[in-house]
Amino acid sequence: MDILPSEEEQMLKNVAREFLEAEISTAMVREMEIDGIGYPPALWKQMADLGWLGLALPEEYGGQGLPLTYLGLVLEEAGRVLAPVPLHSTSVAALTIANDGTDQQKKEILPSVSDGGMILTWAVHERDPRLIPEAMQMQATADGDGWILNGTKMFVDNLVVSQRCLVACRTSPASDANEGISLFLVDPNGNGVTQTSLITLAKDKQSRMDLQNARVERTALVGEVDQGWPIVQRMLDRATALLCCQMVGAARKDAEMAIEYAKNRVAFGRPIGSFQSVQHMLADMIINVDGGQMLAFEALWNMDQGLPSSVEVSQAKAFCNEKCEVVVRHSQVIHGGIGFMMEFDLHLWFRRVTSWTMRLGTTYEHRAKIASALLDVPGKVRLGMPLPVGA
Amino acid sequence: MDFGYTQDQENLRRDVVAFIAGNVSQGLLDEMDSGEEGGRGPEYRDLVKKVADKGWIGISWPKEYGGQSGSRMDQYIVEEEFMRLGIGIGGAGSGAPAILAAGTEEQKEYFIPGMIRGEIIFALGFTEPQAGADLAGLQTRAVRDGDEYVINGQKMYTSAAHYSSHIYMMCRTDPDAPRHRGISIFLIPMDTPGITVRPLWTIQSDPPAPLGTTYGMARTNETFFENVRIPASCLLGEENQGWYVGAMGLNLDRVGASRYLISVRRDEDIVNWVKENDFGGYSPAEDPAVRDKLAELWTEAQVCRLMTMRSMSLVNRGDTFTYEGSAEKVWAPEHGVHTTEAISQILGPYAQLLSSSEEAIEDGLFAHNLMGSFQSGINHGSVQIMRDQMARRGLGLPRG
Repeated sequence: MDILPSEEEQMLKNVAREFLEAEISTAMVREMEIDGIGYPPALWKQMADLGWLGLALPEEYGGQGLPLTYLGLVLEEAGRVLAPVPLHSTSVAALTIANDGTDQQKKEILPSVSDGGMILTWAVHERDPRLIPEAMQMQATADGDGWILNGTKMFVDNLVVSQRCLVACRTSPASDANEGISLFLVDPNGNGVTQTSLITLAKDKQSRMDLQNARVERTALVGEVDQGWPIVQRMLDRATALLCCQMVGAARKDAEMAIEYAKNRVAFGRPIGSFQSVQHMLADMIINVDGGQMLAFEALWNMDQGLPSSVEVSQAKAFCNEKCEVVVRHSQVIHGGIGFMMEFDLHLWFRRVTSWTMRLGTTYEHRAKIASALLDVPGKVRLGMPLPVGA
Repeated sequence: MDFGYTQDQENLRRDVVAFIAGNVSQGLLDEMDSGEEGGRGPEYRDLVKKVADKGWIGISWPKEYGGQSGSRMDQYIVEEEFMRLGIGIGGAGSGAPAILAAGTEEQKEYFIPGMIRGEIIFALGFTEPQAGADLAGLQTRAVRDGDEYVINGQKMYTSAAHYSSHIYMMCRTDPDAPRHRGISIFLIPMDTPGITVRPLWTIQSDPPAPLGTTYGMARTNETFFENVRIPASCLLGEENQGWYVGAMGLNLDRVGASRYLISVRRDEDIVNWVKENDFGGYSPAEDPAVRDKLAELWTEAQVCRLMTMRSMSLVNRGDTFTYEGSAEKVWAPEHGVHTTEAISQILGPYAQLLSSSEEAIEDGLFAHNLMGSFQSGINHGSVQIMRDQMARRGLGLPRG
């Protein structure tokens, strides 16, 4: 038990911070908000050269085979500078292929991900945005050697630049045996796929994806037919924990900007950071970020160890949703009017962190999962010990 | 980073749990419940001897002073398992870190082993009627007279004074110096003539809080000093340096199993209670509002645990705290308040019922905790003072 970063982990974090702070300015972040593809390809290539795109992918497919906690550290630093790169969506989809894909899929996709040649994403949300099997209405129907897909996916990250998208589809009605969900690799530029850009709070690249008789080959299936939901769940757990890392990175930077501002901004003849009302807001902001960070990395660490992690993931996201939001709001309040002027940079952080609180599960959804684990399985609970598991 | 315990640590915990099952008697629990000697009577001393034989006391303390020179994490594990029964055992207690850091060889040899064995217990003499949060305003005087000091004044909330062997107290030794530079610390036997202890009864005293209540102490004290003559050897560290000596190890006193558990035990208790009980067919465990709140509190409690693990990790590494100890002392007590107040709204009118009442749930544990949890945000540095410290020392913000 030593929950602080090891020397090696700290080194990676330092290298990531140094590189990202040197390469990414707020001017670039603003430019990418109005850019058609939303990321600078040259920077993406540099990140590939640093080995970050295959950081947690298996070595035999061109990755570095490092634990998810390492990827979490890089995403935390990426969040800090609001790195406008499709790192999160690509990592999430690639890790799912690495864990649950066929050998052919791994060979075809993972080396290209690691060297920066292939961007990926995933599509689960639908009209009913809850991340539960009942909400999956996208139909996949067997058609000879392949499948025909029909339906709509919402809030698909970086779809506009992705070469492959993992799509959760309904292949059967839910039964006692399984949820009837299958996961397919879809080419977002293929026939029958329509993309519609969504204008979001974060001004990132999210899309609606309409599939109309879009055909995929048999080889596009990830896992077994009708058995896809557990794969989707594991994908969402990784995605959520990694997003929390990004959130705490951004929120901590936002808090640090408020601390600096409070030291320098003079009102009533002294720096506003000398007022206890402001000091206590700032202290709470750091406590909140620290809490989210520890919860997020514990969830990733559990995954790395092969331990149950779904409750830990939900704890992290439920907490980050509320507390990171408090942090960025407090920072806006401390900055006063200038903080929400377009020309001032602070809103870049506020808008992204706020947007991320709504993605990959709301506070209420995650607390419902935690409550179920606490209350619906017989047996006593104790903090620091595994929760009781069902028969 | 490593969020798990080693196999050795898991084994240690298992051994401690088994030891507790075989050695903590009803007699000991009754003795603690009676509150006499602060629960540290003959049964307690007997237990400490047995625990010492296992090599489980003072694990992280130096061998030369009665410890084991082992890891803080191992000590934490022992402390946690005993503290879950309300038994304080394993470490050396308040005051010991400062004695180790600033004491003379003679003081270290005399006090530390006795503290580890639970034979030397300090009352803490900090607060005065006119000096609480603003401790540096304390007035109790210690005047040098040859090889002695003469003490006159009054200390408040000296909770252990009626059963402690000594008092660890701050006195003013130079009234003309700037406030922080005229204070000294003394280690004084309680049986010194001129010391009078008068009880102050807390809101937990009538009816008495059930065993296991957070801040369930029925009694604290005010302690009066009238021409108390002590040898100069009672001085800890240098004269007039007491403010800085006292700061040594204060953070260490604020973190650990005791601090953690007093803030989170009720989270476990309420979840376990609603899983097994209902009110004439109404089951709070099935109420969506209750479920959402319990999940929120559980998550906050996990942050309490992780903050404690962070502090233990820092201590184990030999690193110093910047703001982590203060942060823990803000988050955990406020979390304890969130939980006890939420429980009052989950159990509704039943949460009013005190220990002596018919129909009281768990002997009134939840009701008495509602009176106890907020005290945790006041004692040993209020949450406001802790936030001040975080802001100034941790975040580098200017003084007001």
